[in-house]
Amino acid sequence: MFRTEEMDINMGPQHPSTHGVLRLKLTLEGEEVVDVRPVIGYLHRGVEKLSEHRTYPMIEPLTDRLDYVAAISENLGYCGAVEKLMGLHVPPRAQYIRVVLAELQRIASHLLWLGTHALDLGAMTVFFYTFREREMILDLFEAFCGARLTYNSMRIGGLYEDVPQGWTDRVRHFIGIFPSREKEYEDLLTVNRIWLGRTRGVGVLKPEDAVGLGVSGPTLRASGVDYDVRRAQPYSSYDQFEFDVPVGKNGDTYDRYIVRMEEMRQSCRIIRQALDRLPEGDVRAKVPKYIKPPAGEVYHVVESPRGEQGFYIVHKSGEMPYRMRFRAPSFVNLQALPVMCRGRLIADIVAVIGSIDIVLGDVDR
Amino acid sequence: MDRQALIQTLVIPAAQILAVVLVLPLVIAYLQLVERKVLGFMQVRLAPRRVGWHGLLQPIADAVKLLIKEDTVPEKSDRFLFTLAPVVTVIPALASLAVIPFAAEPFHVFGYEVNPFITDINVALLYLLAISSLGIYGVILGGWASNSKYSLLGALRSSAQMISYEVPLGFAIIGVMMLAGSASMVEIVNAQKAAGVWYVLPQILGFFCYFIAAVAETNRVPFDLPEAEAELVAGFHTEYSGMKFALFFLAEYTNMIVVSSIVTILFFGGWLRPFPNAAALAFLENGWLLFVPLVAGGFLGWLADQKLGGGLRLMFAGGIAGAALGFLIARSDVLGLAGLQVPAVSGVFWFSLKVSFFLFMYIWFRGTYPRYRYDQLMALGWKWLIPLSILNVIGTGLMILITG
Amino acid sequence: MTARPAAGFRDFLKMLLLLELWVGLWVTLKNQFRPHITVEYPRERVELSPRFRGVPRLRFHPENGEELCIACHLCETVCPDDCIHIVSEKKPDGKGKRLVSFEINYERCCFCGLCVDPCPTKPLTAIYMSHDYEMADFKREGFVAPLKVLLNGVDPKDYKE
Repeated sequence: MFRTEEMDINMGPQHPSTHGVLRLKLTLEGEEVVDVRPVIGYLHRGVEKLSEHRTYPMIEPLTDRLDYVAAISENLGYCGAVEKLMGLHVPPRAQYIRVVLAELQRIASHLLWLGTHALDLGAMTVFFYTFREREMILDLFEAFCGARLTYNSMRIGGLYEDVPQGWTDRVRHFIGIFPSREKEYEDLLTVNRIWLGRTRGVGVLKPEDAVGLGVSGPTLRASGVDYDVRRAQPYSSYDQFEFDVPVGKNGDTYDRYIVRMEEMRQSCRIIRQALDRLPEGDVRAKVPKYIKPPAGEVYHVVESPRGEQGFYIVHKSGEMPYRMRFRAPSFVNLQALPVMCRGRLIADIVAVIGSIDIVLGDVDR
Repeated sequence: MDRQALIQTLVIPAAQILAVVLVLPLVIAYLQLVERKVLGFMQVRLAPRRVGWHGLLQPIADAVKLLIKEDTVPEKSDRFLFTLAPVVTVIPALASLAVIPFAAEPFHVFGYEVNPFITDINVALLYLLAISSLGIYGVILGGWASNSKYSLLGALRSSAQMISYEVPLGFAIIGVMMLAGSASMVEIVNAQKAAGVWYVLPQILGFFCYFIAAVAETNRVPFDLPEAEAELVAGFHTEYSGMKFALFFLAEYTNMIVVSSIVTILFFGGWLRPFPNAAALAFLENGWLLFVPLVAGGFLGWLADQKLGGGLRLMFAGGIAGAALGFLIARSDVLGLAGLQVPAVSGVFWFSLKVSFFLFMYIWFRGTYPRYRYDQLMALGWKWLIPLSILNVIGTGLMILITG
Repeated sequence: MTARPAAGFRDFLKMLLLLELWVGLWVTLKNQFRPHITVEYPRERVELSPRFRGVPRLRFHPENGEELCIACHLCETVCPDDCIHIVSEKKPDGKGKRLVSFEINYERCCFCGLCVDPCPTKPLTAIYMSHDYEMADFKREGFVAPLKVLLNGVDPKDYKE
């Protein structure tokens, strides 16, 4: 008789499609995956501990390096948390510009996700097209704050500077041409039978599993749970904008793809509204030179491109936090990976990792 | 045996083989450059430009790099098989070139008649099927001997894929063999000339099946899962480096050229011009008259494009203008160049033009499509291509029966 | 939301003719006519926006050529990476302080720009984020920039072939 054996295989930490230094211990039965065990911690930098020895403005550059693909969302969440702790009111103009930045960042992050996801599934060219458009957004960020990846774009109480001259027109130009570019990605992928075959019904995450595992963001919404922090707990005047929250039906990789594609369109919509109604005025509230918040604790969440990004600060005295805790959406979403992958093929693991869009800097912190 | 016969039977075939084997790596090296250039332009980026003028020496640099690179053999591998595998892969690939006719008319060198192909055997198609199946051994051996799990998985996928796609490949060819009544490559083209039409028209289904199966057989996108870099790092040749890797590479690209040549010969009339029997188009025999201005125009346009930093607009415009000019020259024969035609040259021109088109299709697919999954690939092969190709055989038989 | 392909005769025909595959090919073909977006880096450089944050430097007053820095140590205090090291002394005439040495350790610097934020010599800050970004070196000592380098900058390395 034939005898079959399960094979253990090590995927990562150096592997082209684990998106960083994620290591997966796979147990295979031929090509079929019996079990997946993620091993994390290869990018652990102890950001939470480091934060305990820094004053509040000094922590912001650290948040850039958590989720380095969407640093502005981190900045926004962190500054929001400290402002909440201090009871600061951010000027409306700063709030609107923050929304524009955060939504541009969402598009940039989703573009990077789309490019790498498609690259994992073999469609190489989409990667270059999405990076072309992402580059335009990065140019906008560079014009605004001077950096292209780790922005440190905000300050507690508002922004460091107002937007430069002509910046809003450049943003308008971008959101003008972006929909036609997105149409091109859709032409290459959305209806392509190979893409459908690779994504539909792959890595299904049931809504109850998603909620049970604490999954958030597009991954949660693709499973059919209608929850978006921007709408549930509006921050930075998100309640003043009109936008739809796309929700999927089946919770498979294709739905996660569709949800993110739609989110990019909705982001364009939000940006357009924010630019149309951009208030005049100051961009920075009156903030003392040495930030000494009152003792207490605060939890603030924002909707980062990856999901619910939370910041929990315990402050006792002085200029530094007593305890700092980041709720990393990638870390939580990664928990759903084994559930989605069991019983599928190796090729599906790659598709699923791509579709939950993890950033290892965020996972390991 | 007198000297005359000796030269005709030994020296000339040897020279032909040598010519093919020597020219081929050069062609492949530049095919790879073209692939990188075309992919680069599709992906709105600059392709290699550093080595030589516009990267023209890049293939040479790559070859030198591969030659002088350290040739690592994994410690726990099976040394003998590990070394044997690339050789086993590359030999069938090269051997299949033996029956590819590049043109039909012989030309004369020092009074000896030389055919523009190595040999013309009457079972060429069977020979090709047999030889190309052998290439799988190299892949399996390579994957197994590396003693790496990723390589093994790649090799398993590869063998399953190549064996599955042999079947539709064989069935798709049968239709052509039935129409031509021969398995010899030269005879098949001659039959197309006699019929006055390329076999792609009566055999559209066969062509479709053959081309898809051929892309799968050569492990190219969208069927490149044996070496799916996102999943299996590099598949069966993960552990290979240096010259051994280069041999796998050579085999892959040789297979691409062979497969494109077979498509050209079986379905697109080989070295025949379009509408081979329409006398009004006889000037097309002078293919190079079209080709030279086309390439010149396209090249000038491309240079202008590179200077201006735009896309490839001017290249296409220049190419079209050049082709139109060439068409006019060939049609009206103002320069009296029509007399310069050499049938072998014309044949080689049309042949390589068609082969280039299919190679371009390969690259184009690579630039466009995602990759199939293992089970989907099998489903496509067994559930679609094999029934379709059998249907094609039956349809062809019925057609022959009806038309007599 | 984009509709999922539904069953129907037209869709069946579309599937049979491989329509979406041709559309995909058309997109890649069309993009060949778009300008390329990559630059050949050492030979050509991208244009930097005015706010670009490169290596932090010090500057003179553009009119009278005096040192702008008043040695207030604010940038040193606010720097999250402790990469700025300032030594200052009392001015001989008794008013204010003046620099003895000012060092930035680029091995630690994260280019966050926080040092520029509190600099009191407004509107022209003494410390500023320059547009230099090429700072590769073979020796670690090369990354500690003394006052002279900070004020005068380094000659840009030329990578022409």
